[in-house]
Amino acid sequence: MKKWIFALNERLLDYYGIIAFFLLWEMAPRLGLADPQFIPPFSKVIQAEWKLLANGELFIHIAVSMQRVLIGMAFAMVIAVPLGFILGGWFPRVAKFFDPLFSILGQINAFSLFPIFILFFGIGESAKIVIIFWSSIWAILFATIAGVQHVEPMYIKSARSMGANGATIFFKVILPGAAPSIFTGIRMGSTIAFLMLIAAEMIGASKGLGWLIHNSTINYQMARLFAATITIALLGAGMNFFIHWIEGNVVDWKDEADLNP
Amino acid sequence: MAVEIKPLLIERVTSDPSKSNQAGLKRIFFRVKNWITYELSLIIFLFLWEAAPRLGVVKQTFIAPPSVVLITIWEMIKSGELFRHVGVSFERAIIGFILATLVAIPLGFFLGGWYKTFKRVATPLLRLLQELNPFALFPIFMMLFGIGEISKVAMIFWVCQWPILFHTINGVESVDPLLIKSARSMGIDKKTLIFKVILPSALPNIFTGLKIGSATAFFMLIAAEMIGASSGLGWLVWNAQINFQIPKLFAASVIISILGLLINYLFIRLERRLLGWKEATFGQRN
Repeated sequence: MKKWIFALNERLLDYYGIIAFFLLWEMAPRLGLADPQFIPPFSKVIQAEWKLLANGELFIHIAVSMQRVLIGMAFAMVIAVPLGFILGGWFPRVAKFFDPLFSILGQINAFSLFPIFILFFGIGESAKIVIIFWSSIWAILFATIAGVQHVEPMYIKSARSMGANGATIFFKVILPGAAPSIFTGIRMGSTIAFLMLIAAEMIGASKGLGWLIHNSTINYQMARLFAATITIALLGAGMNFFIHWIEGNVVDWKDEADLNP
Repeated sequence: MAVEIKPLLIERVTSDPSKSNQAGLKRIFFRVKNWITYELSLIIFLFLWEAAPRLGVVKQTFIAPPSVVLITIWEMIKSGELFRHVGVSFERAIIGFILATLVAIPLGFFLGGWYKTFKRVATPLLRLLQELNPFALFPIFMMLFGIGEISKVAMIFWVCQWPILFHTINGVESVDPLLIKSARSMGIDKKTLIFKVILPSALPNIFTGLKIGSATAFFMLIAAEMIGASSGLGWLVWNAQINFQIPKLFAASVIISILGLLINYLFIRLERRLLGWKEATFGQRN
């Protein structure tokens, strides 16, 4: 019995912190430690979330936001990955030539470009998609170039010595070799894309999760605000998990080295 | 977000001492030539940026050429407006960053080094909190701390403590146990152990955290100032947009980008200087 409890304790150890946090969140406003007007108890937040789910409002916002992210990221990937292969693999001199420009463009604060994008593309959908495209393309591009350049030269040489032609080397050696790095880039890009999306929707939109937050703030609906925050966090984590999952299925040749045992 | 920039690649051209005057000129010429070849894409980009509005390819009402942007920056410097906004922004960023450093590094040492069980309890929660979108939290911070300085500083604090904390934990955990054991076997006391063994070996990791933290802090600062502020660089961008002052808008964006690059560069230099011993021991880093 005692052993069993210890084992359970050992297993639950990872969750104690989270459970305690939510308990505290529930208790603090009820006991008057925090102002319930500012911080509604967790159960109220769940209720608000449920209400949003039940009347279908939440799905509309999620769909709108996801559509923006996916279109922007798709454009970024379609451009950045081939470009990265071309620059990293075939024209290293061109890559070196563009390196200073790209690294400066990639470092420009996407936020300060925000008004400029709005000037060009209006306040409609295209401005938001362009913002997401811009903020996610650099991570993907840099990661692809790095990935292609760091493919073990020995693999390429030995493939060539065995008489592989260009296409085979590309699809069997370079592409799988660069894939982990590309996926890291895509993951970083999606994190940044989500961050920028919410910001973009907060500044100017009439739908979407960022708008939901903005609207709740203006109307002082704190429970709804917290519910939207939680939804965004879950969605971001879900996206990250999804990319991880695809990566695990695509990059099946790589040995997993667990860094955090 | 945190992509390292390389310092300008300047190859040293050895000069012949007999023709000192000539060689000096030549050296300068070579340096300039090298610099131009390395930064050529940037120069072409600036040239296109200048030419496109002037030739009417794009409307000058939408894109201000760099020369106009430079003049605008100069005017802002002359009127003192620029320094005021940069000062305000930096004050917020630095206060938030210092607070985050003061909290995150000791906490990281605690969690990474001593209380292992507590670390297992706390880390999932901390990871969960880190995942929260800072923009979504911004209204909550505003509600809690008002729309004044505190909410912005709290925001900066929040976003830059995570990379510092997690990198510190990582650094403390990955100290070679052999170093700690041998230090202990030589009868070291706890304080010396921390300051002479653990801190130096965790320092490269902590530095990476600080670097990412500073970049994030600057990034979020601009966002926070754009959403709600009455001064600062983010406000400058926002105000220029509302008033349709396109040259000012571009000027503010350029200044923000340059400052961001400068901060990054500064940290890379600082890292090189402080962590010289690391390079010597573990071989070439770059």
